[in-house]
Amino acid sequence: MKFAADRILGLALIGLAAFAAIHAWQLQVPFSYEPVGPKAFPIILSVVLAALSLVLVFRPGENGHWPNKALCLKLLAVLGVLLVYALLFTRLGFLVTTFFTVLVLARLFEATWLKALAAAVLMALGSYLLFTQGLGISLPGGYWLPDYA
Amino acid sequence: MFDFLIDGFGVALSPLNLGLAFLGAVLGTLFGALPGIGPINGIAILMPLAYTLGLPAESALILLAGVYTGAEYGGRMSSILLNVPGDAGAVMTTLDGHPLAKKGLAGPALGLSAVSSFVGATIAIIGLTLFAPLLAEVAVMFGPAEFFALMVFAFSSMAVMMGKDPIKTAIGAVLGVLIAMVGVDSGTGVLRYTFGLAELYDGIDFVVMIIGLFAISEILLMLEHANRKDAEDEMPPLGRVMVSLKELAHCKWTMLRCGLIGFIVGVLPGTGASVAGAVSYTTEKRLSDKEGTFGTGDMRGLAAPEAANNASAAGSFVPMLTLGIPGSGTTAVLLGALMLYNITPGPMMFSERPEVAGGLIASLYIGNVVLLALNLPLAGLFARVLTIPRWVLVPGIAILAFAGVYQLHSDLMAIYLMLVIGVFGYLLRKLGFSLAPVILGYVLGGLMEDNLRRALSISGGDLGILWQSGISIGLWVAAVALLVLPWLLPRVLRAWQ
Repeated sequence: MKFAADRILGLALIGLAAFAAIHAWQLQVPFSYEPVGPKAFPIILSVVLAALSLVLVFRPGENGHWPNKALCLKLLAVLGVLLVYALLFTRLGFLVTTFFTVLVLARLFEATWLKALAAAVLMALGSYLLFTQGLGISLPGGYWLPDYA
Repeated sequence: MFDFLIDGFGVALSPLNLGLAFLGAVLGTLFGALPGIGPINGIAILMPLAYTLGLPAESALILLAGVYTGAEYGGRMSSILLNVPGDAGAVMTTLDGHPLAKKGLAGPALGLSAVSSFVGATIAIIGLTLFAPLLAEVAVMFGPAEFFALMVFAFSSMAVMMGKDPIKTAIGAVLGVLIAMVGVDSGTGVLRYTFGLAELYDGIDFVVMIIGLFAISEILLMLEHANRKDAEDEMPPLGRVMVSLKELAHCKWTMLRCGLIGFIVGVLPGTGASVAGAVSYTTEKRLSDKEGTFGTGDMRGLAAPEAANNASAAGSFVPMLTLGIPGSGTTAVLLGALMLYNITPGPMMFSERPEVAGGLIASLYIGNVVLLALNLPLAGLFARVLTIPRWVLVPGIAILAFAGVYQLHSDLMAIYLMLVIGVFGYLLRKLGFSLAPVILGYVLGGLMEDNLRRALSISGGDLGILWQSGISIGLWVAAVALLVLPWLLPRVLRAWQ
């Protein structure tokens, strides 16, 4: 299993190297004052990358433990939370989004509802005060919300 | 000759900078002690804050350098008490540190590691003071060809020294260099690898890269540890917190030797605390482990990696300040922080920006004393940080990452990019890569291409310029020797026997 992972990685990296080389090859350079230009270095890199990946395909190394199914779901959940945090960050503002993000993240990291709620309130308010009052940093207020500032 | 240091103390002793050195030391120790947040993460998270606070360059650097050295102190806490290294540099510390704690000597072990960290760092800072100005004088003679050869040397030393899998180290570095290619080519204005996204024209931003690669991927990794029982639940009692003079005297030669080893490893470009710890531990085991007590809670086995990893932290400033080549993953991040301020570290820094170079070195002296003073009496207090649950830690990292990146860019695209890079970093780590080569490649890649192109435009395309001067020939030879010797030497020795 772990051998297969490195082999697939090696092949994927060779694909990446090919893509990088072709992209560099096709660059349209209007004029250049120097002999090398912007193409050569990425192409050399691609060749090096392809060569190294080939070694990986034939002599795969060790991998870490891969997460099981339950953990994969949790990983996706955490990523989802972070993505939603990003999506709503400016729309709903720092305070609201941070509150919900901390709440859900703490739950995903196995805190009880009570602890998660406490963490969410304290961390959202605390970081807001620290950033705005303590450090004088401006945070998004949320343009979806009515303006009560 | 030491004018820069006197001026430096003038800078570092100003109330603001003194306070920042102190703050950096405290925060660094905390970051180092927290599981999963090492020096790189700590600096990555604080860097955008320091920048937006409008701190002058030398003050920001003093704060971040304080975090770096502090984290090397803090990393030992969880190694000794829980057998879980707080960061890569503290892996070897677990070998003898945890057995000591199990014997009921956790307090003395923490004390000893604080003192050996202090000794190691002191040796290395003195080395830095003596060595850096000399190297800077040599480095003034470097042209583009020499710099290109130097980077080839840096990459080969990294591939050989770092990690157990040289192929993956090398692949990681190449990936880092490729990431650095994204954006407008400064020589011709051609767009490379931007895929039509205007946000990528300026390249992948440094802060976004670092925070994504380290902080976000760490959040994902922590999810795994949350379920797996990887530490002993009970923290062992600290016992007496002071280390006795007799125990210190027992380790004095170990500390001195390993401080020196750590400094040398730190100076080598591309190799950081983890290599220093490993090299010093194995050397010390060979030299002084006569009764076979290493690994069972030998004080010297704890002092060795602790002296070395702090020494390497200070040592890695030598190539960064004089050549603009980071000596470790963490100094690569610091180098990027300087670039935020439009300061390009290099041989001219000692003459052109002495307040930055001198102030930094002086603040390392101060920070080192502060750290010892903090860590000896307050070890018990810092150890309590270990009990912070992950469900507080993870949201905290997320908040700092988001606020920091948003602060610098006021742009959601940067945050999305940070998340993408975070997933990329997570996958790399799961596939057995270490991230330091990626970040070194990313920082050095642009410089490497620039110097190659500059050299070849001087020579009109003649490749011969790359190995024309004595310095560059020496660097090429050293680079090839590094790559070939580990493979060749055992074979030659075997044939000779």
